[in-house]
Amino acid sequence: MQRFRSIERDSVELALSDGRTVLVTRVRDPRARRLKLCVDERGARLTMPPRASAVSGKRFLDDNREWLAMQLARYATGSVLPLRPGATEALPLRAQLLPLRWSEGRYTRLHRDDDGLVFTITARAGEATLSRALRDFYEGEARADLGRWLPRYLATLPRPPRRVRFKVMSSQWGSLAPDDSVALDLSLVLARPSAFEYVLVHELCHLLQPDHSRAFWREVEDRFPGWRDERDWFHVHGRQVKATLRTLLG
Amino acid sequence: MFFRNLTLFRFSPSLDLSDLESRLATAALKPVGPMELSSRGFIPPFGRDSEGFSHQVGKAVWLSVGSEERLLPGAVVNDLLQKKLAELERKEGRRPGGRTRKRLKEDLVQELLPRAFVRPGRTDAILDLGHGVLAVDTASRRQAEHVVGALRDALGSFPALPLNAEVAPRAVLTGWIAGDPLPEGVVLGDECELRDAADKGAVVKCQRQELAGEEIGKHLESGKQVARLALTLDDHVSFVLGEDLVLRKFRILDGAADALESTEREDLRAELDARFTLMAGELERLFSVLEPALRLSKVEA
Repeated sequence: MQRFRSIERDSVELALSDGRTVLVTRVRDPRARRLKLCVDERGARLTMPPRASAVSGKRFLDDNREWLAMQLARYATGSVLPLRPGATEALPLRAQLLPLRWSEGRYTRLHRDDDGLVFTITARAGEATLSRALRDFYEGEARADLGRWLPRYLATLPRPPRRVRFKVMSSQWGSLAPDDSVALDLSLVLARPSAFEYVLVHELCHLLQPDHSRAFWREVEDRFPGWRDERDWFHVHGRQVKATLRTLLG
Repeated sequence: MFFRNLTLFRFSPSLDLSDLESRLATAALKPVGPMELSSRGFIPPFGRDSEGFSHQVGKAVWLSVGSEERLLPGAVVNDLLQKKLAELERKEGRRPGGRTRKRLKEDLVQELLPRAFVRPGRTDAILDLGHGVLAVDTASRRQAEHVVGALRDALGSFPALPLNAEVAPRAVLTGWIAGDPLPEGVVLGDECELRDAADKGAVVKCQRQELAGEEIGKHLESGKQVARLALTLDDHVSFVLGEDLVLRKFRILDGAADALESTEREDLRAELDARFTLMAGELERLFSVLEPALRLSKVEA
């Protein structure tokens, strides 16, 4: 009988050539056939077959040190650090940094006023509470954009989307389910508004054409002629936007 | 005809619904056929034997989606199938294969379906043409979407969207319970559900509880947020508003219902008409309060 082996995870430190030390997640996966090093907004990950030795993994990391440094730079979140109560002074929104003030109150919430953002927290508010409040705030802002844009496109669609949900998506920006539900990445609210609107239009056009055929792109072109600029913007800034949200939500 | 739950959708008030009655008539409920599992369509709101598929008072239109569903429990089919399979095994000396099982099951369903009970159902809805709101008397998203789908089929196009709140409903509800000013005419009820911010975190459900008290304050302080909150509007209606923007336990209170009892009406139709008028008025007032409080998006280009 074949013995089931589960995925094992740990992490190793790796010193980069510029002196920085990064944490690499090491995953032993029974399905892995070779060593694989990849980087996404969650950081660097080394996947190894169960029988590969730790030494071979270390050697593989050393050999690809320069490549790793280059990829990590692409995902760098710039000045954005994890949310720290009382310390974080600004939060990104619609490709801008808005000043943030902290205050104490009866319940935890983040809202906007004329001078920027105000994070009201209770004395016992934990990380999860702050993260939830931030997420709720971003979803409210995203829905405000949605409420402004969506009605404009409804008239030329065969049917409206069943509902629109905002999720933290790892690689996609949006999707349309077979039941006509649209899912959009919450980090779109951190991108420039035109890029966000393009993703919405893209998903709505899938109600007309459920593929990426020429006919589909014609529908996009009719509704959003500047879509190529937005696609290019995502190629340059997309990973950073996703990494920023992930960093802030913790 | 008072609604017990409200699932709301928005559509553009400029939508042309002048031929609504004739369109609904073309999508009327047909009796479920002997070999059909279910059937859905519009029925007259005053009852299946009455006339008119819609009833309009002012800017409110009352319509009703009826359904007929054949009840054929899976357990009954499986039980008979097992008996037939056992008999076949005894005769042939071997266990019937998958294909035979499938065929036998289909035969059984065809045999049992015409004899199955038919369960009738109805879901009422109100179109508020002034605000561009469709209120469906259900807390089930699926059932509400069936009503929207039925309207879309009847009208050809009905671009209605679920409510879109431009502020997190959870934050608004939590603010109200924590002492933020409530919208005019709204007071807190005695029921709420508090949830921890962490996924799969603690859930506290309170009933007959003083919501402005210290006990609730402690939960808020630890970071819990309000997921459902009982509210009363103008002493006319009470309801539980959820973070999913569904209004549950909707009830017309004595303060509003008194107006109905003070007048004598001749027949059932007049009674239902009076109730609908009251319900539509309360719904219109309720939405005009909730719309700015929850910053509900309009659906106008």
